[in-house]
Amino acid sequence: MSKLAPIRDAVMERLPQRHRAEQRFQAYGLTAITLAVLFLTLLVGSILTQSLAAFTAHRLTLPVTLERELVDPRGDGSEASLRRGSYNAALQAALRDQFPTVHGVGELRELFGIYSAINASRLLTDVVNNPDLVGQSVDFEFPISDDADRYLKGASVSERQIDMNASLSIEIAGNVARLEAQEAVLAPFADRLRQVMADRANRYAAAAEAALASARQTIDPDEREILEAEAQRAQMRVQQLNERLRPGADFLLGPREPSLLVRAGDTIVRLTSITSGGREATGEVLLADQAWSGSVTRWSFWEIETPAATRLITDRQMVFVRLLEERGLVRNAFNALLFTNADSREPELAGVRGALIGTILTMVITIFLAVPVGVGAAIYLEEFAPRNRLTRLIEVNINNLAAVPSIVFGLLGLAVFINAFGLPRSTPLLGGMVLALMTLPTVIISSRAALKAVPPSIREAALGVGASRTQAVFHHVLPLAMPGMLTGSIIGLAQALGETAPLLMIGMVAFVADAPNFGFTGFTDPSTVMPVQIFIWSTSAERAFEARTAAAILVLLVLMVLFNAVAIYLRRKYERRW
Amino acid sequence: MQISVYVALALLVLTAIGYLVGRRQAFVAAAGRPSELHSLPSYYGYYLALWTGVPALILLALYGLTGTSLVNTLAMGELEREAAPLIRAYDTQLAQDPDLSRLNDAIAQLEADAQVARSELDKARRDGGEVAAYQRSLGDLTVELNRLQGEISQVQDRIAASIAVRAPDNLAGDRARAGFEYWRATPDRRDLFLTDARALAFGEGFASRNSSALIAAGDAMRPWDEMFRWSSAGLAMAMALGGLTWMRRQITVTFRARNRLEGVVSFALFAMSGIAILTTLGIVLSLLFESIRFFAAIDWRIHEFLFGLQWSPQIAIRADQVGQTGAFGAVPLFAGTALITLVAMCVAVPVGLFAAIYLSEYASSRFRAIAKPVLEILAGVPTVVYGFFALLTVGPFIRDAAVLLGYEDAVTQSALSAGLVMGIMIIPFVSSLSDDVINAVPQSLRDGAYAMGATKSEAVRHVVLPAALPGIVGAILLAVSRAIGETMIVVMAAGQGANLTANPLESVTTITVQIVMLITGDQEFESAKTLSAFALALVLFALTLFLNIAALRVVERFRERYE
Amino acid sequence: MTAYEKLQAGASVRQETLYHPVEGSYTTKVATKNVTVHYGDKSALNGVSIEIPACTVTSFIGPSGCGKSTFLRSINRMNDTIDNARVSGSILIDGEEVNDRNVDPVVLRARVGMVFQKPNPFPKTIYENVAYGPRIHGLAADKDQLDAIVETSLRKAGLWDEVADRLDQPGTSLSGGQQQRLVIARAIAVNPEVILMDEPCSALDPIATARIEELIDELRENYTLIIVTHSMAQAARVSQMTAFFHLGSLVEYGPTEEIFTNPRDQRTQDYITGRFG
Ligand SMILES: Nc1ncnc2c1ncn2[C@@H]1O[C@H](COP(=O)(O)OP(=O)(O)OP(=O)(O)O)[C@@H](O)[C@H]1O
Ligand SMILES: [Mg+2]
Repeated sequence: MSKLAPIRDAVMERLPQRHRAEQRFQAYGLTAITLAVLFLTLLVGSILTQSLAAFTAHRLTLPVTLERELVDPRGDGSEASLRRGSYNAALQAALRDQFPTVHGVGELRELFGIYSAINASRLLTDVVNNPDLVGQSVDFEFPISDDADRYLKGASVSERQIDMNASLSIEIAGNVARLEAQEAVLAPFADRLRQVMADRANRYAAAAEAALASARQTIDPDEREILEAEAQRAQMRVQQLNERLRPGADFLLGPREPSLLVRAGDTIVRLTSITSGGREATGEVLLADQAWSGSVTRWSFWEIETPAATRLITDRQMVFVRLLEERGLVRNAFNALLFTNADSREPELAGVRGALIGTILTMVITIFLAVPVGVGAAIYLEEFAPRNRLTRLIEVNINNLAAVPSIVFGLLGLAVFINAFGLPRSTPLLGGMVLALMTLPTVIISSRAALKAVPPSIREAALGVGASRTQAVFHHVLPLAMPGMLTGSIIGLAQALGETAPLLMIGMVAFVADAPNFGFTGFTDPSTVMPVQIFIWSTSAERAFEARTAAAILVLLVLMVLFNAVAIYLRRKYERRW
Repeated sequence: MQISVYVALALLVLTAIGYLVGRRQAFVAAAGRPSELHSLPSYYGYYLALWTGVPALILLALYGLTGTSLVNTLAMGELEREAAPLIRAYDTQLAQDPDLSRLNDAIAQLEADAQVARSELDKARRDGGEVAAYQRSLGDLTVELNRLQGEISQVQDRIAASIAVRAPDNLAGDRARAGFEYWRATPDRRDLFLTDARALAFGEGFASRNSSALIAAGDAMRPWDEMFRWSSAGLAMAMALGGLTWMRRQITVTFRARNRLEGVVSFALFAMSGIAILTTLGIVLSLLFESIRFFAAIDWRIHEFLFGLQWSPQIAIRADQVGQTGAFGAVPLFAGTALITLVAMCVAVPVGLFAAIYLSEYASSRFRAIAKPVLEILAGVPTVVYGFFALLTVGPFIRDAAVLLGYEDAVTQSALSAGLVMGIMIIPFVSSLSDDVINAVPQSLRDGAYAMGATKSEAVRHVVLPAALPGIVGAILLAVSRAIGETMIVVMAAGQGANLTANPLESVTTITVQIVMLITGDQEFESAKTLSAFALALVLFALTLFLNIAALRVVERFRERYE
Repeated sequence: MTAYEKLQAGASVRQETLYHPVEGSYTTKVATKNVTVHYGDKSALNGVSIEIPACTVTSFIGPSGCGKSTFLRSINRMNDTIDNARVSGSILIDGEEVNDRNVDPVVLRARVGMVFQKPNPFPKTIYENVAYGPRIHGLAADKDQLDAIVETSLRKAGLWDEVADRLDQPGTSLSGGQQQRLVIARAIAVNPEVILMDEPCSALDPIATARIEELIDELRENYTLIIVTHSMAQAARVSQMTAFFHLGSLVEYGPTEEIFTNPRDQRTQDYITGRFG
């Protein structure tokens, strides 16, 4: 009985098309949300993965003998004398004990480069605290340098060891070693490296071609000159490479090629040239085992694929830390220094403690300034203010102040608090004041919203029983609005917690190696805060700071989550419905 | 410090006593019949406590804020007076020194040359001629000027050293030397000097160096410091006690304690809301004041600042010299800011708007309950974290992608990566503001569209969005203002080179980046270079204020229409 | 043949087949059986069965909150837009189940227009308001046809003379009565089969009300109209059939004259005479 009504025909005609449009539109919306969530996941994920490396660190434990003449120069055991001791010399001696064959100045410098001398100051503190240690041997544990740490974590260098079973004779004369094998065991390595170099030569040749081509096209004479010079440089490289690749010539290994190490026991040689036959080679002795010489059958290749020119750790340093690790003196453990140390120029010693204390002190000031003043201002504007032009002006002003870029508040602090009032720069006191001014509008706005949400009937009831306006507000309205004010304030304060830019303006970006005093005087100690610490680390050149920056970000995010969790808890606990 | 803390504690105790005394006095005045009193007894207590504690504490706080700088000024003034003979000798020596006059002549010559070169450069620029050569010669002149300036200060240092040894080797001599050194020092060196002297005298922190002059300066501070410390402490205590006794006598049965207290409270509350006005005033005045000093330093060539195409504040040598032509042309910064803001908006507006539409029109309430907080997390992440993300994840990715696609000159710090990440940061802004606006569109309009047989997307596109448009425009304006003022992301991810380009793959700089560079780079507060940061901030402030006012207007109109 | 032309042709055909003036009887246009609506756990309508004839005006009356709007909105499935609303039972238009899964609400609502209590013109020009339906459904081949539809609709709604020279002004700039006629014009521009009106005159003064009533009477010729009203007099004036609802149930339904002169149910009697509600 169904009759097809004409309007339906008309509608049906375009319907599929319209439904497709509908689906497209809906897909856009879903895509937008997916994108936003994806961004967030990427952000958190990338920071998490980057931070992982910072939570563990390789630590070296050495038996250190605290010789009296080293650590107690005056010999009276007094604190003043102990403080003048050369503890780093003791550490160096302990390290030399591990590698008795290392002698030359350069080699020693490389050896001592696997840790930072600052570590000696902790040894000093230990001894000063416990003078009985003088003359004794203690096991001292300290972090190895960030470059060595990254190497051991496999983050900066790719390498492999190949065990060989072929007869090889090694002849050591001073620093130079001559190697001779029965078979052409070295040939495969040399061939592969040759291939790598040939590829590189081809790339340079292509680059030279390209530069020349664009030089022909350009009309700007300056630019042409530059391009031609570039082409020439590339061609020179090609020539050099081809020279080295000449068939029949000895194959020379330089810092731009992977390092080839031959290891037999504790004797380690870096090959510098390989004969074309692949049977003989000369090399530089990295470490020599005194007890050993002659010919071996069990030895290993240690191929370090990352060229020396592109890494911050030398071949010899790699040998040192590897051997120390094999001897069980280096182990990877939780990096507690990240939390117990203040900032340091050495990544392995840098921690967030100073910034954390700075953050707490700064936030204390901010809270004690912004919350009472903000709540007071909100109470005035919402409950007492007459509706006149001045009040209106204040309201508009607060709304606009909330949108002023934070960096402007920093300049205000610089111009007024530092230059006019002479307050000490870089301090939590100043930072807290600037952040309080910045947070104030947010606190006022959210507190007013909370006051607005209290139904007028409550005020009327209080006034009705004869309370004064002030009594009505302080006894009845305020307690009801408190939870809302608190949550609003906490959200504003959380913003202040993550704020960086205004603090850069007032000098909190300075390098501060000591954590501020976690007490009353700390408010005027130079210090930094977590977000600024993150900024400082992120601009540092050392790669190891990357992971530490990410870890510091995690710490900051945890702080923010805690802050917001408090807000949610308070809201849940005191939530009221009318 | 110590004594102030004790005084503060004593004041607190006195305040508590004031409360008790006030209450008691009220009972006494009422002769045992508290109902006769105008107010509740405790109000008398509060009132008396107020008069006891507050003025004294304010005095103490004032001392805390200004004491140090007051002591420094007085002590150093004293020392500078004592250094007068040295200063006179130094000045005469300077006037007579042949090296110096030769150098000054050379500088005058160079400055004249520079002036000529500059005007020629101006002319060339106006006529659209070749400017590179002039710029190069101007650069050479500047380098030479800098070198001469360096020589002059070397000579000055030499003379100063020879003068300083003339002072006798006793305490008076040390004091004179201290005054002389302080007199000669630049503002930031003065700060350091004072910090060191205080460190030596009072053990506040660690001194970076140690000299007899510093010790003498610290010793000169000590008596002043003691005097202020004790007098402020004594005065505060006296004020507290005076307030206590005087106000106690005022308390009678008819004394309107509650009204007076309420008067004080509401005045205090009013003063608190006044802080917002003071802050704005402080911002406007300090920015204006420093900007005026900056414009004075560049000879009031404000048009060049606003419309100049070249930004290189490093060329400017010193504040006492004529500003450098073209060095403070801020257009590249404005353009960079605009470019990054544009990129950010291209990300944030579509994503934020569509997310808002989906959440308010399509999503189930369960989905909304999860998705909305997730979006808001994006707004809660500190900007420095976004900066790190842009620098280490997005920047390299975009560079590699661009290189892969054949754009060889790609860099890590590009407008695209900064803008993209800033856009991500702004998504929740756009989405939550738009969400509010979309929800404010009355349901009856949607019903009207559905009743016509519109599909959901048609209702949204044809009815809801046009109705919400003013509100959405307001939201976008607010987001733009936010993007313009954002600092950390661009500082970390956009680069510092003042390139005038529209290519988002190049590195550009923004207003905020330059403010950070100028302020954190050089502590010399007097130089035009540092002052220019304030002029930039003034532009930034005006821009965001304008956007914000416009946005609030638009949104208010929208609300009026539908509420 | 364009959709519009088809529509024009179809419209005349339809009138003949549906209306049997000779017998004085009507073809059933909307028939419901046992319609029940819940908002969440609360039931707003329980088991309403009714047969509404074509090309007549049927009015729904009843005390506030008895479910009139709810019932009206379930006819064109506007209740779909309310998250917690659940509709059960059957609603047939021309014998076709409305709540069937294969029925697209878009098509349904094109066939069943609706006018709301408060006029809700879109934030567009007067012209665009009326042209909206034909546009989205693609009823006009070109601008001229669209102009024609707009003009006819506005004329039918009795608004043309007042707005002919200001078609490009916003619809919201009209007075309340004009706005209500504008949304009626908007509703009839797609030439629907049924028009639902939920208290169309409640926001209007007596003169504007009289105009709308006139309009309803004219529209009866071509459309099936269902109106909700709180005015007994209006129901008596404009409708041929009247249904009385009470507490979510249909109490009485019949020709308007009968309901008003000779109600069978006590509750109807009480309501009509103003004793409650
Ligand atoms: N969206 C909704 N959610 C929950 N309950 C609703 C909703 N809409 C209506 N109701 C309830 O359903 C019942 C019927 O409402 P309906 O709007 O149909 O009444 P009505 O007869 O149109 O009243 P009036 O004459 O006042 O318009 C009422 O009790 C109302 O509270
Ligand atoms: Mg109703």
